[in-house]
Amino acid sequence: MKAADPSSSGPSSLIIDRRTLLAGASALGLSFGPLGGLARAADAPKKGGTLRLGMEGGSASDSFDPRTFADSVAINYGYQVYNGMVEIGDDGEAVGELLESWDTKPGATEWVFNVRKGITFHSGKTLDADDIVYSINLHRGDTKSAAKDLLSAITDVKKLGPNQVGITLSTGNADLPYNLSDYHVLVVPNNFTDWAHPDGTGAYKLEHFEPGVQVVTKNTGHYWKPNRAWYDGVELRYIPDASARSQALISGQVDAVNRLDPKTVGFVMKSPKVNVVQTKGTGNRFAFVALCDDPGYTSNDARMALKYGIDRQKIIDTVFKGYAQVGNDTTISPANRYYAQNDPPHTYDPDRAASLYKKAGSPKFRLQVSEGAFSGATDAGVLYQEALKKAGIDLEVVRVSGDGYWSNVWLKAPFCAVYWGGRPTVDLQLSQTFISTANWNDTHWRDPKFDKIVTEARVELDDAKRKQMYAEAQHLIADNAGMVCFAVGDYLDGYSKKVMGAKPHPRYDLCDERVAEKTWFS
Amino acid sequence: MLRLILSRIGLGLATLLAVSVVVFVLTQILPGDVASAVLGQSATPETLANYRHELGLDRPAVIRYFVWLFGVLHGNFGVALTNGQTIVDVLGPRFKNTLFLAGYAALLALPLAIGFGILSAIREGRITDRLANIVALLAISMPEFFVGYVLILNFAVNHEWFPSLATVDSSMPFWARVWTVTLPAITLTFLVTAHMLRMTRNSVLSTMSTAYVEMAFLKGLSRARVVTRHALPNAASPVISVIALNLAYLVVGVVVVENVFTYPGVGQYMIDAVTKRDVPVIEACGIVFAGVFISLNTAADVMAIALNPRLRHPR
Repeated sequence: MKAADPSSSGPSSLIIDRRTLLAGASALGLSFGPLGGLARAADAPKKGGTLRLGMEGGSASDSFDPRTFADSVAINYGYQVYNGMVEIGDDGEAVGELLESWDTKPGATEWVFNVRKGITFHSGKTLDADDIVYSINLHRGDTKSAAKDLLSAITDVKKLGPNQVGITLSTGNADLPYNLSDYHVLVVPNNFTDWAHPDGTGAYKLEHFEPGVQVVTKNTGHYWKPNRAWYDGVELRYIPDASARSQALISGQVDAVNRLDPKTVGFVMKSPKVNVVQTKGTGNRFAFVALCDDPGYTSNDARMALKYGIDRQKIIDTVFKGYAQVGNDTTISPANRYYAQNDPPHTYDPDRAASLYKKAGSPKFRLQVSEGAFSGATDAGVLYQEALKKAGIDLEVVRVSGDGYWSNVWLKAPFCAVYWGGRPTVDLQLSQTFISTANWNDTHWRDPKFDKIVTEARVELDDAKRKQMYAEAQHLIADNAGMVCFAVGDYLDGYSKKVMGAKPHPRYDLCDERVAEKTWFS
Repeated sequence: MLRLILSRIGLGLATLLAVSVVVFVLTQILPGDVASAVLGQSATPETLANYRHELGLDRPAVIRYFVWLFGVLHGNFGVALTNGQTIVDVLGPRFKNTLFLAGYAALLALPLAIGFGILSAIREGRITDRLANIVALLAISMPEFFVGYVLILNFAVNHEWFPSLATVDSSMPFWARVWTVTLPAITLTFLVTAHMLRMTRNSVLSTMSTAYVEMAFLKGLSRARVVTRHALPNAASPVISVIALNLAYLVVGVVVVENVFTYPGVGQYMIDAVTKRDVPVIEACGIVFAGVFISLNTAADVMAIALNPRLRHPR
C-alpha cells in the first residue's frame, strides 16, 4: 500500500531516521530490555478483546468535528473512526491512505491524487472524489479549522474523475502529501455536517461518546487495511491526572496509557505487568522565546548570551529526569534527518555568556514562565536563573497564571516560556515559526535570507541540496533568532504486557495515535 | 411558620439570580474567550473571527446574558459553545454521579461523625474522646489527594480489592457502582467527618453546662442518658447547620477527588468549561452548585426552626 513517490528524483523529507530512533531507545535499556512483547512482535496477530486506553489530552468540550481537534484524545478517536488522506509510516515517509497514490509536475504546484477504490463509509456510502474535495474544503476559505494555514497554499481542488482529484497550489510544495497527513484532514462523506453522529471509513464505528469521560467504539468487521484493527472494540477513558493514569495501568484497569510522567516512570517500569515505550526526541520542543525587537533583546550578543548561559543538560536531568534530548535553539528535532548535525552546539559556557552580555551593554532580562506553557517550565526557569547567575547575569523569573497563557503572554511578553509540537515536515516546522510573515513568529525574528532559503527548499526536489539548505536555515536561526530551545522531549507510553505490536513512531505517541488499529492482544 | 419558610425560599431564588450575574460577569473578566481557548496555539486572527461569529460572541455581553437567562427560565440551559452538546444532557448524568458519590460519602460520614461526637461528649476527657479527636484531626489535616493516593496504592495497586479508576456509567448495576466509588467515598469521609464530629461534641458539651442539664444530673440520671435525652436535642441546631455545610461541600467541593479518581462528576465538567471559557456551561454548573448550597442551607434553617420553638417567634 505504499504510494508512488511524489517526486521521482528523491524521497520526501523524513522526520526521523528509524534506526537512530530504535538504537537510542535500546541504548537506554528501555524498549528492548523490558519489552519482551516487542521482540515477539513478529508473532502472528490475532483478533479479539477490547482495548482499554487511558489518555490525557482531552476535555468535556471535545467533539467529532475534525476541524476542532486540538489534542491527543481527539486525534486518537479521530483515527479510530475516520481515515486520513495520507498516513505517515513507521519510517516517517508519507504513504497512501484514502488517497492511494499521487503525482506532481516539476515545480510541485500541480498535483493529481488517486482516490482509493472500493472503500465504504460506515453509513454504506462508497468513497469517491467528491468526498475528498468536500473534506479538504472543510479547511479552506471561511472556516474555523486549525488546519487552514497548513492548506492555505491550495488555490483549487477539483474532481478530475470519480476517483481522481486535482489540487493546484499558489506556490510549489514538494511536501503536499505530508500536509495532507495532518490529523485535522480526515475524510467524511460529501456534505456531511452531523458531527454528533460521525460517519467515517475507519476500522471502528462510534458506539458511545461522552466527552471528558469516555469514548467507546466497535469494530466494523470489514476494515479495508489488511493486517490492521484486531480489537473487537476500544474504550478510551479520559484520565487527566498523571498518577491516576499510571496507577490504572499498573492495576490493570487500562491496557495502554499516554504521557507517563518522567518523574514517576521509573516506578511504573518496576511493575512486572507493564512495558514502557520511549520515543526519543520527537516530542515537544521546550523553549524560551525572546522578541528580537524588544529593547532588552535587540542585540544579537544579548541573545547569544542567553543561549550560552543556559545549562541544558542540567534542566533535562532535573526537570525531565533525562527523558529529553538537548535542543540547539531551533525547533528541529535532533532525531530528524535534516537536523543540522554539524552546527556547533550551544553548550553551557558562563564566561562566554558573561563577555557577550557585557558587549550587549548588560540589558535587563525578565522571563515569564508558567505551568500553563508546559509542565516544568517554572523549574526550568529557576534553573536558568541559577545558571546565568554564574555568568554574573541577573535573570528575573516571573511566574504567571497558566490560565489564558496562550492569549495573554505568548506572542506578547518580551521573554517567555513556550513549547512547539512536532510538525510533519521541516518546512512546516520552520515556516510556521521563523518566516518573517509567519503568524506565530514568536521571536519577531525577520531575515530575508532565511525566508528565501526556506521558500526555495520547499520546491527543491534534489535531496542532498535540500539537506544543505535546511542546514543553512537552521544555522541562521541558531546564531541569530531569539529562541532558546533547550530540550526536545521524549514520548513515554505505557502498555500492558499483553499488548503486542506497539512501537515508537516518528510522529506521535501511542503508535502515531493509531494504537487501536496497529496493536493486538497476545 | 409557613410564611417564614416561603420567605426563605424566595430569598434563596434571589440569591441564585445574583449568583448567575456574578458568574457571568466573572467569566467576562477572565482573559481570553472560548474561541481562542478552543483553537489554542493554532489559532489565527481570521479563524478566531470566524469562530466568534459562528458562536455569536460578537454580540454584546448584556444581550448574551439575557438570552441565556431567558432560556434558563424556560428550562433550557442551551448548548455548549465548544462542541454544541445540549448542556442538560451532559450535566444531568454527571450531577447524578456527583450526588451518588456525595450520598455514599454522607452515608459513611454522618453516623460516624454523630455517633463518635456523642460518644466523645459522653466520655469527655477519657481515652475514647481523645482517640476520636486525634484521628479526626489527623484525617482533616491530610490533603484529599494524598488520602486518595494512599488508598489507591494500598487497595487498588498493592491489593487489587477496589479499582483505582472510579469511572462509572449509566449502564452499571447498582452494586458494581457502589464497589467502584468506594475509595473516593472513603476519601471524602476522611475529609468531612472530623468537622461534624467536633461540632457535635462541642455543641453537646456546651449545653451540658446549662441549668436544666445540671438539674437532670441532680435527679440522679446517668451521664449517657443526660447527654442523649436532655443535651442532644438542644444542641441539634448548630450541628444541623454544620452538617448542611459539609453535605454541600461533598457536592460542590469534590473536584480534587474527582480528578484523582477520574470520576465523571460536575466538578471536572466545570473545570473543563472554565479552561475553555465555555460560558453557558460554567453558568449552568454555577447555578447547579449554588442551588445545592442554597437549598441545603434553607433546609437546615427550616429544620432548626422546626426543632427549636424559640426561633419561630423572633423578638
